[in-house]
Amino acid sequence: MFKKLLSIGGAACLCAAFLFAGGCGKAGDAPDSGHGPVAEQIEKAWLDYRLNEWNGAEAGFTEALARTEEGSDDWAMCLYGLATTWNLRRPGEDPAKAEKMYRELLEKAPDSPMAPWTALALARQQHLVPVGQEPDYDAVNAAYQKIVDDYPGHLAAKEAFVYLQSILLAKLEPEAAKTAAANLEEYVSRESKEFVGPSYSLLSVAYTLLDDQAKRLDAEENAFEKTEVDPSDPSVEFAWAYWNLACISEFELGDFERARKYYKELIRLYPTDIRVYGCKQALKRMDELETKIRAELAAEKEADQ
Amino acid sequence: MKFLKKAFDFVRTYFALLVVAAVFAWSALSIATFRAQHEKPGEIVIRLGHWQLEASVREGIDEMAAQYQKLHPNVRVVQDAIPEGTYGQWVSTQLMGGTAPDILQVGAQLPDNIWISYYNRYFQPLSRYVYSPNPYNKDTELADTPLRQTFKDGMKTAYVAEMQEYMSFPLSLFGVRIFYNKDLLKKLTGRDEAPLDYREFLAVCEQIKSQTNAVSGQAYIPIAGSAYHFGHWDSMMFSPVTYGCIRRADFNRDAFVGNDETYVAFRTGMLDFYYPPLACWLKMVREVTDEFQTGYTGLGRDEAVFLFAQQRAVFMTTGTWDARSLQEQAKGQFEVGIMDFPIPSPDDPVYGGVVEGRIYESPGAGFRFAITRSSQNFDVALDFLMFLASQKGNERLNEIIGWIPAIKGTEIDPLLQAFEPHLEGIYGAVSFSLGGNTSVTWGQQYSLYQVNQISFDDFAEKFTKYYIKNGLQDFLEQQRDWRRGMQRNEQYLAGIRARAILADDALAQAKTDEERQARAIDAESAWVRYRAITYARQLWSEINHARSVAQINQTELPEGWRGPYEYSDRVLEAIRARIAAEEGAKEPVEAEAPEAEPIAEEVAPPPAPAVEAEEAVAEPAPGEEPAPAAEKPAKKAKKSSKKKAKKVED
Repeated sequence: MFKKLLSIGGAACLCAAFLFAGGCGKAGDAPDSGHGPVAEQIEKAWLDYRLNEWNGAEAGFTEALARTEEGSDDWAMCLYGLATTWNLRRPGEDPAKAEKMYRELLEKAPDSPMAPWTALALARQQHLVPVGQEPDYDAVNAAYQKIVDDYPGHLAAKEAFVYLQSILLAKLEPEAAKTAAANLEEYVSRESKEFVGPSYSLLSVAYTLLDDQAKRLDAEENAFEKTEVDPSDPSVEFAWAYWNLACISEFELGDFERARKYYKELIRLYPTDIRVYGCKQALKRMDELETKIRAELAAEKEADQ
Repeated sequence: MKFLKKAFDFVRTYFALLVVAAVFAWSALSIATFRAQHEKPGEIVIRLGHWQLEASVREGIDEMAAQYQKLHPNVRVVQDAIPEGTYGQWVSTQLMGGTAPDILQVGAQLPDNIWISYYNRYFQPLSRYVYSPNPYNKDTELADTPLRQTFKDGMKTAYVAEMQEYMSFPLSLFGVRIFYNKDLLKKLTGRDEAPLDYREFLAVCEQIKSQTNAVSGQAYIPIAGSAYHFGHWDSMMFSPVTYGCIRRADFNRDAFVGNDETYVAFRTGMLDFYYPPLACWLKMVREVTDEFQTGYTGLGRDEAVFLFAQQRAVFMTTGTWDARSLQEQAKGQFEVGIMDFPIPSPDDPVYGGVVEGRIYESPGAGFRFAITRSSQNFDVALDFLMFLASQKGNERLNEIIGWIPAIKGTEIDPLLQAFEPHLEGIYGAVSFSLGGNTSVTWGQQYSLYQVNQISFDDFAEKFTKYYIKNGLQDFLEQQRDWRRGMQRNEQYLAGIRARAILADDALAQAKTDEERQARAIDAESAWVRYRAITYARQLWSEINHARSVAQINQTELPEGWRGPYEYSDRVLEAIRARIAAEEGAKEPVEAEAPEAEPIAEEVAPPPAPAVEAEEAVAEPAPGEEPAPAAEKPAKKAKKSSKKKAKKVED
């Protein structure tokens, strides 16, 4: 009996040994976390972050952090990466821990290149509250405004600026729209590239709320012209933009010349777009309306004579 | 003897251990001998996994593999055809275990978010190869065309926005049409071809229905239907009839009517089920489904195919994916024809003014293949995909399978010519799906209507009542999640931002001018991408949510409001003044306020249809007074909607 048990136990041990060996083999295949230069470790940790490998990202940033000098640029990048992982990982997020790390970064490395992005991350934390909660918009606005004031000219400040204006416009109130329009006009007059297209788009929203259709169309045209395009994205297309410009021209301004130009551009550039039928209908509609009005005017003139 | 007894005792004692050891030894030997038999020295084996069990697909891949092997004798392609139902689990196990084939079919059988995480972890991005020509197009007109542009759809379906990478090669296009039994049609109706005119089609169906099979005594079924097939008929033929609703309910003029816009249009009286495009849609549903076999909603896809294959039904709708297998099933029994969906003629007394043309079909490619990270022969796997995506290779592959090639300039099998997509046309323009109980109620009422258990009027009354009362709550509940999307985007953007920051760091460390130049382009491109995605994904959520909520809470439209594609008085005045100036009128013409009936509606859409649908017009709409008996039904339907709209304007 003992020997039988021994045999069964031995078989189980053998199975376990095979499994263990397989596991070791697998573990051997797993990528080495590496102990190369800190920069490489940081890059690897961000790659893990992008692949949603949260534990790998956390371990990578933590390990790299331990190898950097407190307050240095590398240290700030590691801490920012670690905080961002805790802030945005799903599941297992810990926003409080992330906030503490962001604040530590701002305190110990206020001049680091990561400081503006850290300030933006803190503001975004306040803005993007969990589902079912409402953000404290006064605090959110103050946080965005502080970034605009503290880091003038930095991309993070420009991003904070457009978020501020979008919050204002989301009130859908004429007074807020007026303020946003003034801010955005000032921004587009001094900036030439970063977030200029989006600012014109927001201006268009402001002028829609203010029912200034001519300025709305100008803003839309500028937004279209200044749009920054990700050249690798095949889904980027401007059929919608042409359609939008054409519709504003036709229905808000009665500017058929511009409307025709945009409808025709859509048909020419995007012949397989879903709106092509609508464009052709629109061209026909405008022709028929003009013909009708011309006939009426001729009849009126004849009656006058 | 003693030795044998000892051996027997030993085996009996250590039996379990010996069995495990023997199984292990046998497995190891089997694997080793299998590989030795199948992998010749120096041979590269590329494994390809897919879920297309259709015989022609396996034949197609085998033949292409053989052709490829002629060019590359040291490469052998082996396919693993896995049933659809288990493909998701199989692919997950293979990927996680690190034993996945080199090439895998991707994009279905698992939820989208799972595929995205798999692309991230287990597949090789292919972006860097899509901007160079396909070497296998060398002697064709596509010789110098970047790979991406050799695809009919520009590889749109291959691009994964979340990763900003092209991840797969799509190899075929798909479409849905009506298949019919040519011999049976001829026998029962005397026709060689199926009619493309809607009225004629219905007449043919009636003719078929009136005849019985002399042997079985069973009546012939005009259309083999099922719950699965109804979806095809609805999306391809019925719902495009609603296109005209755009003129009433596309409040933001984006050329579509969203679920919030449909709700607002119903709530403010701009739309109701008596509005001609909606009334005609539901009338067409009734007329066509009356030609399906009884109880079709309870049947599955295979049962309908069985009716068709058994020659009990003449028509059946399905896609390119079934074309070859249906042809095979019919071989020696009957000839399969493929036809487009019939549409009413422009002078049709009911639908003529409503159905403006054929449905718009977007050319999107499927049958997509990606290369796994675990592949030991990435270059060879990529080369084989290039071969399949070449003009000649793709044409041949699809010719064997019986599908539509995804590459430009390829020939289509004559049988499939009816599948050529309509690149211009109309499309469905209402959405009653507000989530929650509204969607459930829609499903219930629409199903009852489909099987003729409730009349049009009952359907219209019951659903409208429920929809207007509960839709807002369901919509707001659905909207509660809008911030979750922003959080997902934030997570994604942080990764894109980090990539751009690291690109800046790399630029700062460049040592030569050449290196500096290349890294500068890389960094600039990374930042452009970051800003473009921030703009597209994060800037509008707040505003769009506010607009949506404000819109859906509307109980009435602003004074003087007209349809989104109609001109306001102010604009008409401006147009008139401009034309007057152009005509050289000496004095500017005093603009008169237009009549109550907007001009645009008079000239833009085709004439109002005469909806003869008894169901649609026999009874007045809820809350409406009955129309005079002499009034034409179409006018009644139009008036019903317009009266309400006018009421709102007033």
